[in-house]
Amino acid sequence: MQPLLKVENLLKRYAKGSLTGAGEELLALDSVSFTIFPGTTLAVVGESGSGKSTLASCLACLESPTTGNIWFEGKDIVKLGERARREVRQQIQLMFQDPASSLNPRWSVFEILVEPLILQRKFKHEEMKQRANSLLERVGLSPDIVEQLPTELSGGQRQRLAIARALALEPKLLILDEALSALDCSIQAQIANLLMELQSSLGMTYLFITHDLAMAAYLADEIAVMNRGRIVEQGPAEKILKQPQHETTLRLLAAVPRITRATRPAVEQ
Amino acid sequence: MRYLLRRLGHALLLLVGVSVLTFLFTALAPGTYFDEMRMNPQIAPETVAALRAQYGLDKPLPLRYLSWLSSLLHGEMGFSFAYNSSVAPLLLVRARNTLLLTITSTLLAWMVALPLGIWSAERAGRLPDRLLSWGTALLLVIPDLALALGLLVFSVRSGWFPTGGMASVGFEALSPFNKLRDLALHMILPVMALVLSTLPLLVRHVRAAVADVLNAPFLLAALGHGIPKRTLLYRYALPAAANPLISLFGFSIGVLLSGSLLIEVVMSWPGLGPLLLEAILSRDLYVVIGGILFSTFFLVGGNLLADLLLYLADPRIRTESSAR
Amino acid sequence: MSTRRTFAKWLVALGVLHGIVVCAGFFAPYDPVEQDRKSPYLPPTRLHLVDANGHIHVRPFAYSVRLREGSFDQYEEDTTEPHPVKFFLNGARYGLLGFLPCRMHFFGAEDTRIYLLGTDAYGRDQFSRFLFGGQVSLLAGLLGAGLTLLLGLCFGAVAGYYGGWRDSVLMRFAELFLALPWLYLLFALRAFLPLVVGPLEAFFLIIAVIGAVGWARPGRLVRGVVLSAKERDFVRAARGFGASNGYLLRRHILPETSSVLLTQAAILIPQYVLAEMTLSFLGLGVPEPASSWGNLLSSLQQYSVLVSYWWMYLPALIMVPFFLGYLGLASSLQERGEAYKIEMSSLGGLT
Repeated sequence: MQPLLKVENLLKRYAKGSLTGAGEELLALDSVSFTIFPGTTLAVVGESGSGKSTLASCLACLESPTTGNIWFEGKDIVKLGERARREVRQQIQLMFQDPASSLNPRWSVFEILVEPLILQRKFKHEEMKQRANSLLERVGLSPDIVEQLPTELSGGQRQRLAIARALALEPKLLILDEALSALDCSIQAQIANLLMELQSSLGMTYLFITHDLAMAAYLADEIAVMNRGRIVEQGPAEKILKQPQHETTLRLLAAVPRITRATRPAVEQ
Repeated sequence: MRYLLRRLGHALLLLVGVSVLTFLFTALAPGTYFDEMRMNPQIAPETVAALRAQYGLDKPLPLRYLSWLSSLLHGEMGFSFAYNSSVAPLLLVRARNTLLLTITSTLLAWMVALPLGIWSAERAGRLPDRLLSWGTALLLVIPDLALALGLLVFSVRSGWFPTGGMASVGFEALSPFNKLRDLALHMILPVMALVLSTLPLLVRHVRAAVADVLNAPFLLAALGHGIPKRTLLYRYALPAAANPLISLFGFSIGVLLSGSLLIEVVMSWPGLGPLLLEAILSRDLYVVIGGILFSTFFLVGGNLLADLLLYLADPRIRTESSAR
Repeated sequence: MSTRRTFAKWLVALGVLHGIVVCAGFFAPYDPVEQDRKSPYLPPTRLHLVDANGHIHVRPFAYSVRLREGSFDQYEEDTTEPHPVKFFLNGARYGLLGFLPCRMHFFGAEDTRIYLLGTDAYGRDQFSRFLFGGQVSLLAGLLGAGLTLLLGLCFGAVAGYYGGWRDSVLMRFAELFLALPWLYLLFALRAFLPLVVGPLEAFFLIIAVIGAVGWARPGRLVRGVVLSAKERDFVRAARGFGASNGYLLRRHILPETSSVLLTQAAILIPQYVLAEMTLSFLGLGVPEPASSWGNLLSSLQQYSVLVSYWWMYLPALIMVPFFLGYLGLASSLQERGEAYKIEMSSLGGLT
């Protein structure tokens, strides 16, 4: 099977310039490579500052990497021109952590949903309403909310709306940048289940970026652990969780809270 | 230290920029002082041309700017056509008169505004605060022009104060004590006008700054520790409220020369304002540039002073700039 | 929200005041340029309820006035015939809203003149001049503020959105403008343009001058809003959908500036009205015979007027409600935004 996304030696350097001339350099991504096959989920796990969000931006074509290749369906998207990039943008969608800030608070649900459709100029006016309703149903939201503002929705509803919007252009790859981190635990589970269900019904491929190893364990087929811009450990989810090698992985694993009596420290008498 | 040097360099650049802008602007304006002379049939055109050459008005623009700049560095600010004298002494005398007015009124205004604002902030939301808020609002909405004119009308009807001007006729003949008294009498109305026009906003700003701090969690925590209210106010709240107040103070310094223009004109106070107005109307080039530059110098200087005071007063700025 | 209601209340109050000025032809009893050389410097007409014979009238009335024997500026009332104040009567022709021909006035009297604020040296009704002058001054303030906000919006948006050298250049430029004393700049700018122009040209000239001078502060504020809006996730999301710069600015970023612009408008309009007044007062603004609030007060520069004709000061007082309205509006807007932080830009207004 052809990989959907293949990333090869991705490098992103930020130069911090200042008037006095001495610039600092920040290596956000350092020779990052991985492959994602269609219909699967790759979780990229790491702490803050490990370069995860930069990775998401580069893959979603919001930023350009300094060097390296990104192959999407066999085409190198780094080297594409503006016109072709637009086509690719449709196929790769990005979802953000904070549903409150990724939705324009002044726009209604309808306007938010059809924005990608308007921008890609693919649909006629009459079809938009239908499309919006079907998208809402797909993510488990009632079509009644079409006229409401995002501020009137709950956190979980907003994230569902964000997913619905991301699905509007029928993308092949969905990049979720800490998309569940800002939600309450129970809502997290609901959204995660929705994502799984969409994956099996639509054949979606996910790149799931998170700092929560437990969430990754739940959703992912493959896990890649990042630290300071490099991938330090990579492999099938089972293997990473059962036989962690790198100290970063061990640290992340230890941080997952486990609710069992045995692990609670005994109270000193 | 480097922070301050940077601010200083910035200020100097600003002044240079302003001087270029003003020079360009006035020199490019249609009409010169000599246009009226030119239109007078009794004066031969050669005389006008000779006069112009004497003042160097026929040289190209950049040269004029550079020669003006070099003379500036020697303390010379050009020549006033209308007054037929050197600009610098003219400006200095007028500026002194203006500063007499503005320094007095600024001091008075701050001396009233600080305690009033603090007092009001302590009682935020309650009746005294609301009354003060309404009082300042009422004063705020009366235009400066109306205030000055109103005071003039009052002075004329009551006859208590001299109406306008800085000195009575026969000033020179008075004894030193009477001279002072005469000056003070002449100053009362303009100073009152200035104070009344600047006081309301000053009070509001002080009140806002102090009220903001009084609501801060760290102050509530200190209160919870049992620290007495007086100490709280003077050693905890006021230093924290100092930042906006220092900026405000810098602004007050900055407008010492330029803030009283209208009042000076209305009350015939011989300050920088009326001079500038006349110079503008008669196209007296070097007076205009000199005057504007002088006022800008104060504005920029006031900001710089505020920066300096903030640097000294707020440790956060010191650590921030050294961390760069 | 109670601040929303406060805002609405101030807006309505201001609207009523402006409405009166807009319909100046209706509310003013007389033509503002009509001169009555026989009644210069008339004090405000006294309205009575009790006549010389001790009868009480229901309607307030006025007596016609004549020059006292032996003086040239003292007037006395002719108490033989009371002229009641009438409402909605016909008088001088005027154009409602500038074009609808109309003759009805709000109030007046037959056979005599009601000069609510007295007359000036040419016998013109000060009250009518006040209302018509208000049209000029208020409109100048509104249009000037509009120009400034437009300039500030453009420059701020370009500086904030594109950043880089454009931002640096524009911000340095803004600093220069902010470093200059505003009033001086205004005068200089005005005076270096032709001094003697007709009223209409002068009007647009001062609007252009006032508007062009003050763009720096709103520009910086807009730039700040644009800078932060640019980084919002919904903007990045839209870019991910293929949005162009123009689309992002138009549909996502610039709408964020609306509250800043509104607050600035409430602060700038009264400032600019005052600026026009100052210019006209000093003879640099709208010239006679057109009236503006500034040249209404300019006669007070003469000592004789100050001494003998105190009512010439009255227009300065009755314009205060307008400024109160704008202050209330600005306060309610700022409370909606940041709590009680009044901007430095409103400090003193004319510095």
